[in-house]
Amino acid sequence: MTEKLGALSLLQVRAIMKNTFKEAIRSRIFYILMAFAVTMLGFAVVLSFLTLGSQKRVILDLGLAGISFFSVMTSIFVGIGLIYLEVEKKTIYNVLPKPMPRSNFIIGRYFGLMAVLGTNLLAMLAILSVLLAVFKGFTMAVFQAGLFIYMELAIITAIAIFFSSVASPVLSAICTVSFYIIGHTSSTFPDILVPLLRSPFQKKIATWFFHLLPDLNILNTSNLITYDIPIAEGFTLRALLYTGVFVSLLLLAACLCFRKRDLV
Amino acid sequence: MPDPAISIRGLKKTFVGHLSIGRIHALRGVDLEVPSTGIYGFLGPNGAGKTTTLKIVTGLLFPSEGEVRIMGRPAGDNLVRMNLGFLPESPYFYDYLTGEELVTFFGSLFGIPGKELKDRTRLLLDMVGLRGKEKLPLRKYSKGMLQRVGLAQAMVNDPQILILDEPMSGLDPIGRREIRDLILGLKEKGKTIFFSSHILADAEMICDEVAIIVKGKVVQKGRLEELLGKDVRFWDLSFKGPADAEGLPSRHVITSHEGYTMIRLDSEEAVEQAVSELPKRGARIISLVPHKASLEELFLSSIEEREND
Repeated sequence: MTEKLGALSLLQVRAIMKNTFKEAIRSRIFYILMAFAVTMLGFAVVLSFLTLGSQKRVILDLGLAGISFFSVMTSIFVGIGLIYLEVEKKTIYNVLPKPMPRSNFIIGRYFGLMAVLGTNLLAMLAILSVLLAVFKGFTMAVFQAGLFIYMELAIITAIAIFFSSVASPVLSAICTVSFYIIGHTSSTFPDILVPLLRSPFQKKIATWFFHLLPDLNILNTSNLITYDIPIAEGFTLRALLYTGVFVSLLLLAACLCFRKRDLV
Repeated sequence: MPDPAISIRGLKKTFVGHLSIGRIHALRGVDLEVPSTGIYGFLGPNGAGKTTTLKIVTGLLFPSEGEVRIMGRPAGDNLVRMNLGFLPESPYFYDYLTGEELVTFFGSLFGIPGKELKDRTRLLLDMVGLRGKEKLPLRKYSKGMLQRVGLAQAMVNDPQILILDEPMSGLDPIGRREIRDLILGLKEKGKTIFFSSHILADAEMICDEVAIIVKGKVVQKGRLEELLGKDVRFWDLSFKGPADAEGLPSRHVITSHEGYTMIRLDSEEAVEQAVSELPKRGARIISLVPHKASLEELFLSSIEEREND
């Protein structure tokens, strides 16, 4: 019986994933953000004409930055409503009385949005590749950069889902954006802030604390790719491990918060 | 004796406001047992605690105190939920899905395999009268259609127990009759139906047993005929003709207009005497209607008693 329920759990997560995917691709916001991203890619091409000799680099740099930015926006703005709006719109009242642990719902919603973001990302990378090919600058490293953008999205979406399971969309948006900003600046904190402390003990504690903060810069490979610097295999593996641990902890926290929540 | 379908003991629910300011005691010790077959009506005015109770039974809320068991097992047990169907009050569904996609989605949460699920979805949509509308997105459904697709999703796992929260609220008389017929059809198939309502006429027509909840406490429960009593409380007799009701015992005239008269009689002897006496006086009896206590009277008196507590 336990095996049967285990197999059922997988089917349930898949069903919720599929439903989340349908929800996103049938919503207007998804296409609006996609349109912005494509416009941004077009803008990168226009800007590249204003530079001398490094047209390919400008398209690649601006293109990857645009793709990353609009993917993160989609992740945040869809992610923050993923659980909260289900409760607010009462659609969850039909889902949770089914023979399903609440954690399956959270995990299904998460992977559903990740599937949407993955599709979205692939489509944009394909467009960027075509543009680069037109300007004779295509490189497979575009897809390597895509993998790192996807890892960043995995963390941001997990944060958005975590906040969505405990707070309103506005608060979730503020917290997730703050997290994103801290994630991109935290690597500079030890160098700037630790020297301001006097005692070695305080310095040690502060350094440990800064290590606990998310560091999204380790997933930022755009510069390396733009300047044709190869990414070491070990670096990719470390980034994958970092993402896996971070996402698992955040999803676990979301499931624990949601497990005993009253759905009034 | 078989286990009751649903057994609720000492159920209490208190909602605590933000920063623990303000407490609302929604349920103050609910006890009831829903038998394993038949239709059980859970009645009460708005805000009495009906939906809170059903949400606890279906695992959407957690009790502050007390216990809910379904088919002898704890309410949250997944094996129990395999046999449970639930239709929430004014159901909200994913409006980007079609009726067919919605039922299929909920069916897949029970692990029903593809071909079987497809056939069952078609059968259920037929059964609730949505044939030809299954490809329409739910945002184009009327309230009655949403209620019907809601019933279809609640039945997708062929559950033994169906819990319906206000299934007839907001529907027009035709829609209410259709849902009533569907519920009666499910009873004939041996299902247990536990439904909440404040539409007493519907409940009176279809329920075998009822419980009345007021201010978070069950104040009346039992078989409907036991609660309402088998005895007739009075009779209304209508007749046409020149006769008047003078001299008939235990009566008072309700209306008299253009040769038609209606009198109310309060004993069997008075009825017998009126029926034999009136034709002798030249009157033609048109109707004789016995009146038992109505659910509405029971409901209102229960509320009044609880208000006075």
